[in-house]
Amino acid sequence: MATAQRPDEAAAFSPEELAQAPVAYDEMLAALGDVRPHYAALDRRIATLASAEMSERQRTLERFFLLQGITFTVYGGESSTERIIPTDLLPRIIPAAEWAKIEAGLTQRLRALNMFLSDIYGDQQILMDGVVPRELVLGAPSYRREMQNLYVPHQAYANVCGSDLIRQPDGAFAVLEDNLRVPSGVSYMLANREASRRTFPGTFRAAGVRAIDRYPDLLLATLKGMAADWRPNPQIVVLTPGVYNSAYYEHAYLARLMGCPLVEGRDLVVHDNMVYMRTTTGLRRIDVIYRRVDDDFIDPLTFRRDSGLGVAGLFNVYRAGNVVICNAPGTGVADDKAVYAYVPAIIRYYLGEDAILPNIETYLCREASQLQHVLGNLDKLVVKAVGASGGYGMLIGPHASQKEREDFADAIKADPANYIAQPTIQLSTAPCLIDGVIEPRHVDLRPFILSGEKIVVTPGALTRVALRKGSLVVNSSQGGGSKDTWILEDTAEEDMAS
Amino acid sequence: MMLARVADSLYWIGRYVERAEHLCRLSDVMLNATLDRTEAASQATRIVLAAVGDTEGARAASPYELAFALALNREDGGSITSSLALARENARQVRDQITTETWERLNLLYLRVTGPEAPKAFADSPSTFLHEIIADLHLFKGAADATMSHGEGWRFLLLGVYLERAQLVGRLLEVCFGDGRRRPLDDHMALMSVLRMSCGLEPYLRRFTADIQPRKILEFLLLDEEFPRSIRFATARIEEHLSATARYVDAAGHAGPERLAGRLRARLQYADMDELDVAGAGALISTVLDDCAALHQAIYDTFVAYSLEMRLPA
Repeated sequence: MATAQRPDEAAAFSPEELAQAPVAYDEMLAALGDVRPHYAALDRRIATLASAEMSERQRTLERFFLLQGITFTVYGGESSTERIIPTDLLPRIIPAAEWAKIEAGLTQRLRALNMFLSDIYGDQQILMDGVVPRELVLGAPSYRREMQNLYVPHQAYANVCGSDLIRQPDGAFAVLEDNLRVPSGVSYMLANREASRRTFPGTFRAAGVRAIDRYPDLLLATLKGMAADWRPNPQIVVLTPGVYNSAYYEHAYLARLMGCPLVEGRDLVVHDNMVYMRTTTGLRRIDVIYRRVDDDFIDPLTFRRDSGLGVAGLFNVYRAGNVVICNAPGTGVADDKAVYAYVPAIIRYYLGEDAILPNIETYLCREASQLQHVLGNLDKLVVKAVGASGGYGMLIGPHASQKEREDFADAIKADPANYIAQPTIQLSTAPCLIDGVIEPRHVDLRPFILSGEKIVVTPGALTRVALRKGSLVVNSSQGGGSKDTWILEDTAEEDMAS
Repeated sequence: MMLARVADSLYWIGRYVERAEHLCRLSDVMLNATLDRTEAASQATRIVLAAVGDTEGARAASPYELAFALALNREDGGSITSSLALARENARQVRDQITTETWERLNLLYLRVTGPEAPKAFADSPSTFLHEIIADLHLFKGAADATMSHGEGWRFLLLGVYLERAQLVGRLLEVCFGDGRRRPLDDHMALMSVLRMSCGLEPYLRRFTADIQPRKILEFLLLDEEFPRSIRFATARIEEHLSATARYVDAAGHAGPERLAGRLRARLQYADMDELDVAGAGALISTVLDDCAALHQAIYDTFVAYSLEMRLPA
């Protein structure tokens, strides 16, 4: 149908090309190039725009980001430059029914993970019952002994969670990673939305897209709820590592939209087991810290001594119950890449339910039999170091050279417990504007889930895009970009299909 | 109540944008004056060099090169581009405290002066280049006034603007009239340039007519109650903003800056006109500049770098 009317895109989605890469699911095109119903309106709109018009809109979009200062700083050479994270014009669209399942799955998963954290930092029943190997949890670098037996309101350890989902070739979503430490990207979700409303106003209005504007006040309510039982009107702050952090824009953005002070470690003072900030009028007590600083750096007395980003004595204040730190320290143990393999079992253990969103099949190199399988199939697997993130410390077997695979094999043999492996998954593809032409690129999906008194899944997500042709790496540090994600309202689909 | 670091950053944004605006005006007036081959041209260049603290003329050989360096040299921390970059860097650090409208003005200006086209734009027309920066800085101040809450943060921004302005105008007067041993500036064109550099030519003419005399210029730029770039006007605003922030401050130490500002304002309000005798103006100008420096230090000590022992909760 539409293919014939669109000379530019026809090349990108020709049946030949689809046949070459039949494994990846395409978000817009079904088999034989038919446009999926929830993409029909956008497809019709794109068809009316010439390539030059699209490029012009793309430039407008980039100017918007630059003007807003939504940039990250690239250091190197003599000077540092500021760049915008590449942002794609065309929204990714998810129908209501699919989203309902994602929402249920994410809620279930975070409930179970919070219960898991509460358990392992409490009685450790799950370890006694042998559901998760004891040494795997207690030996994980992200396990914080200091958190043992600490009261966390509502058992909400991971107040902000940003899970990475991918769509498998059969069209089903699966969880690739849980991010329970200091997940970022939510400001891009919000900024992308602001931009795409300007780019496709008509289509946006007609599509019935669920609003995400409430994220800041829901986050604020979640943070307030963490102090509700002891401080009626808590002083909440956002703690940032500072202006040189690559996510600084996001920290400032959230502080601004929540109306909370954005503090750095040097603004804070611990005195008499309370934490204060230095204001123009003297010291003012803080009750809740939404910290965007890693565990390791929040308190040089308790964690890394060389950290200048946190404040000395903060953890003691936390232990004394005089401040709430969100996310709680030590949540990283539940998104550890090795613990990940046990999440379906963890859900079954605490909730008696099967996981709604499946895991990706994962081989733990610590198990001798699985190690053999991994070493024998390096050319088919993705191998990840347990402690690394951001797309670093990773081998993508099918794309690696023989030499790289051999080097990685040696590293795995030297420290098997530090590695896991997963089959290479063809992430789904979505249409993207690349140099004025629409081409498919691989995407993932990062929704944001808040948990405090209750769990709330924001009806939106950050869609990360691997902008290099054929690439499966979506991390912004490795050539990734992002695009807006439209979650459609329940009633919207029939309208769009008609 | 606001973070001490944030108040400090807002104060410095104010100082840097005011400095950038003043430098634009100095450069523009100088380049304009040098179009005429007169005594005034070399006087204007001398004034600018002295006002930016470069008496040896180390920065550049010709007025054009001097203006180019003042505008675009990133190595020089005192250049217009550096001032704007520093203002914008401070703004980035308190991005949550200033409105998007205000931020956009400053960010846009920063992107323009640091962009690859900036040297060419300057070369094409220095005057247009400098005028556009001044106009954009007016937009920035207007956006701050129209969109920011007129609370503590806004007051710290303006404290920076007015204190910097008082010091810049004071420095300009010191260079022109401060040294009693030198032959006072009396060339008509040069005196016009001084008024232009302080953006005061038109308001001056309205008050004193085209009768341009050093003594009247001193009176106007030091003591005029209504001209927004006179030191008295700036000091009155400083006092106003300090007493307004006193509402937020409980500490007794706050009396420091407020007292200094009040004294300086009174000194200018009740100044003896005879002191303005050009031969003796130097003493008054240097007292005013000393007071401004003390005020800056007192603001920093009271609001930003106070000792914790004094402020710990009981």
